[in-house]
Amino acid sequence: MGIKFNKVDFKYQGNDNKAYLALSNITLNIKDTGEFITLIGETGSGKTTLVQHMNALLTPLSGSVDIFGVKINRENVKKKKVKLNPIRQQVGLVFQFPEYQLFEETVQKDIIFGPKNFGVDEATAIERAKEVIKVVGLDESYLQRSPFNLSGGEKKRVSIAGILAMEPDILILDEPTSGLDPLGRNALLDVFYDIHKKLNKTIIIITHDMNTVYEYAKRVLVMRDSYLVYDGDPIHLFTNKNIDNWNLDVPDLLNLIHKLEEDLGIQLPTQPRNEQELFEQLKVVLS
Amino acid sequence: MDIIQMKNVSFSYQQDQPVLDGINLNIKKGEWVTILGHNGSGKSTLSKLLIGLLKPSQGEIIIDNITLSRETVHEARKHIGIVFQNPDNQFVGVTVRDDIAFGLENLQVPRNEMVERIDKYAHKVHMAEYLNKEPHNLSGGQKQRVAIAGILAMQTDIIIFDEATSMLDPKGRRMILDYMSQLNKEGVTIITITHDMKEAVLSDRIVVLKKGKIIKVDKAKSVLKDQETLEKSNLELLLPLKVLNYLEKENIDNEKVRSYLWELSLTR
Ligand SMILES: Nc1ncnc2c1ncn2[C@@H]1O[C@H](COP(=O)(O)OP(=O)(O)OP(=O)(O)O)[C@@H](O)[C@H]1O
Ligand SMILES: Nc1ncnc2c1ncn2[C@@H]1O[C@H](COP(=O)(O)OP(=O)(O)O)[C@@H](O)[C@H]1O
Ligand SMILES: [Mg+2]
Ligand SMILES: [Mg+2]
Repeated sequence: MGIKFNKVDFKYQGNDNKAYLALSNITLNIKDTGEFITLIGETGSGKTTLVQHMNALLTPLSGSVDIFGVKINRENVKKKKVKLNPIRQQVGLVFQFPEYQLFEETVQKDIIFGPKNFGVDEATAIERAKEVIKVVGLDESYLQRSPFNLSGGEKKRVSIAGILAMEPDILILDEPTSGLDPLGRNALLDVFYDIHKKLNKTIIIITHDMNTVYEYAKRVLVMRDSYLVYDGDPIHLFTNKNIDNWNLDVPDLLNLIHKLEEDLGIQLPTQPRNEQELFEQLKVVLS
Repeated sequence: MDIIQMKNVSFSYQQDQPVLDGINLNIKKGEWVTILGHNGSGKSTLSKLLIGLLKPSQGEIIIDNITLSRETVHEARKHIGIVFQNPDNQFVGVTVRDDIAFGLENLQVPRNEMVERIDKYAHKVHMAEYLNKEPHNLSGGQKQRVAIAGILAMQTDIIIFDEATSMLDPKGRRMILDYMSQLNKEGVTIITITHDMKEAVLSDRIVVLKKGKIIKVDKAKSVLKDQETLEKSNLELLLPLKVLNYLEKENIDNEKVRSYLWELSLTR
C-alpha cells in the first residue's frame, strides 16, 4: 500500500496571474513500512509541495496520488469521494513553519488536539502529551505555556511533539531540524531513527543538511525545479557529478575523507558512514 | 569605536523570570560577531532589544551613540536593521516589491533610487523574477531571501541576521555568507545568530549564551575549540576538531595531521 504518485503535475496560481509550476510528472512509490527517506533539493524546487500531496493537503492538478489505497485526484476530491480524516491520521506531517501548526492557548491543548480529533480520549491524550514533550527535549512545564510565546526552536519542538502524539503510520517532517541547536538536532534525529527501527515505520525528512542525508538516509529523493531528478541511495548521490547543479553540497564526513586523502595521502580501508567509524579507521591507519 | 554598547542589560517577558540577565557586551564598528546558544537561551530576545523592539527591564543600550529610548528608537533604526528568524514576521507588503520598498519609504529614500535598490537587491538574492508575487506564497527559503533583500536594501551600518539562512539550500547559503563577508569588508558591522559552526568560523568574535547569561566572549578561533563551553550550550565542535580531540585522547601524536586538521577547521 503506502503512497503512490502517478504522473503528478501541480501548479500554484499566483496573485500576479502567473502560474508557478511546482511538480512535474512525478511518479514515485513509498512503502508504508521500513523506509527512511531524506528529501532534498534547492529552495523552491517543490519539496514542500510534494509532501503536502502525501497527506492530501494538496490535490494533483493532473495525475493521482494513492494514499493507503485511497485515490486522490481532481475528480474524486471534487465529488467529495475521499474521507480525509483517516489519511491525516495515517500520514502525519510536521510543517516547515511551526507557526502554521500551532493555534491553541496552551502547548498541551495543541498537542492533544490531533489525538482527540482521531478518537483518543482526553486523559490518554494528556498522558501522551507528557511523554512526547520530553521526547522533543522540553520539560513538562512547557505544557501550560502559550505556544506563541516560545522561541523559534521551542516552537519547532512543540510542533514535532504534536505529530508524534498522533502516532501516525508514516511520519513526514518538513525541515524539522532547521533552527534546532546541534545537540537537540542530533537527539531528535535519533528519536526519528528509533521510531523507524523499533516500530519499522516509514520516515520522510526534508532537509538541507547533507550530514543528515549521508549518516541516516537509506534512500534519497532530490527535487530540482519541480522534477524528481534522483531517487536512490546516498553513497551514489554524492559521487554524482550533478550535485553542484542541484545546489547540493558534500557532507562534512566525505569532505574530510577526501581532503585527508588528497592532501596527506591518508587512505581509509572503507568509506565510513558516521563519526565513530571514521575515528576507528583513523586510529588504525595512524597508529 | 564601540558602535554597540549593552550595559548591564536584563530583560523579562514575565515578572521575575529573567530571560536575559546582566548582559554586558560591546561591539566595535566593522566587527563581525556571532551569537551562539541553545534553543531558548535568549538570542532572539537580545536582538530585539538591540533594535528597540523590546525595552530592557534594566540597563542601557547605545547604538551609534544613540541611547535607546522610546523617543530615539526611530532614529536608531536608520543605523541598525534585522532579518528576523521567521521571515513571515517581517512581511508587510502585498508583493515582494512593496515589501522591499516599505523599509526604504521609512528611510525616505527618493523614488528613483528606491527603484534602483529594489532591483539591485532582488537580483543579489536571486528573487528578481518574483517581485510581483505575494511574499506569503513563496517557499520557505524564498521567503528568507526576500527578507534578506529587504534589509540589505536599507544599507544600514549594522545588520543582525537571526538564523536568516536556516532554510536555504547549501549553495544559496554559501552565496549569502559570501555576501556577508563582502559587506563586512566594506565596513558594515554584522551580528549573526546561528547554530552552524561553519558560519561562526567566519566571524571575528563569538558570544555564547546559556539561559540568558553570557558564558563566553572571545575570538572566534578560541571559542571554536572550546569543547567544554560549547557543549554547555548544546553546541558541537566542527568535525576536524572532533577528530583532533579524538586523536589526542587516544594518544596518537602526529603533528602533521594535527596542524592540518586545525587549519581545515578554519577554512570553509
Ligand atoms: N513573547 C514571549 N513571551 C514569553 N516568553 C518568551 C517570549 N518569547 C520568548 N520567550 C522565552 O524567552 C526565552 C528566550 O527566547 P529567545 O527567542 O530569545 O530564544 P533563542 O535563543 O532565540 O532561541 P532559538 O534558538 O530557539 O531561536 C525562551 O525560554 C522563550 O521561551
Ligand atoms: N501558496 C503558494 N502560492 C503560490 N506559489 C507557491 C505557493 N507555495 C509555493 N509556491 C511556489 O511553488 C514552488 C515550490 O515551492 P515549495 O514546494 O514550497 O518549495 P521547497 O519546499 O522545495 O522550497 C516555488 O516556486 C514557490 O514559490
Ligand atoms: Mg519548503
Ligand atoms: Mg531565536
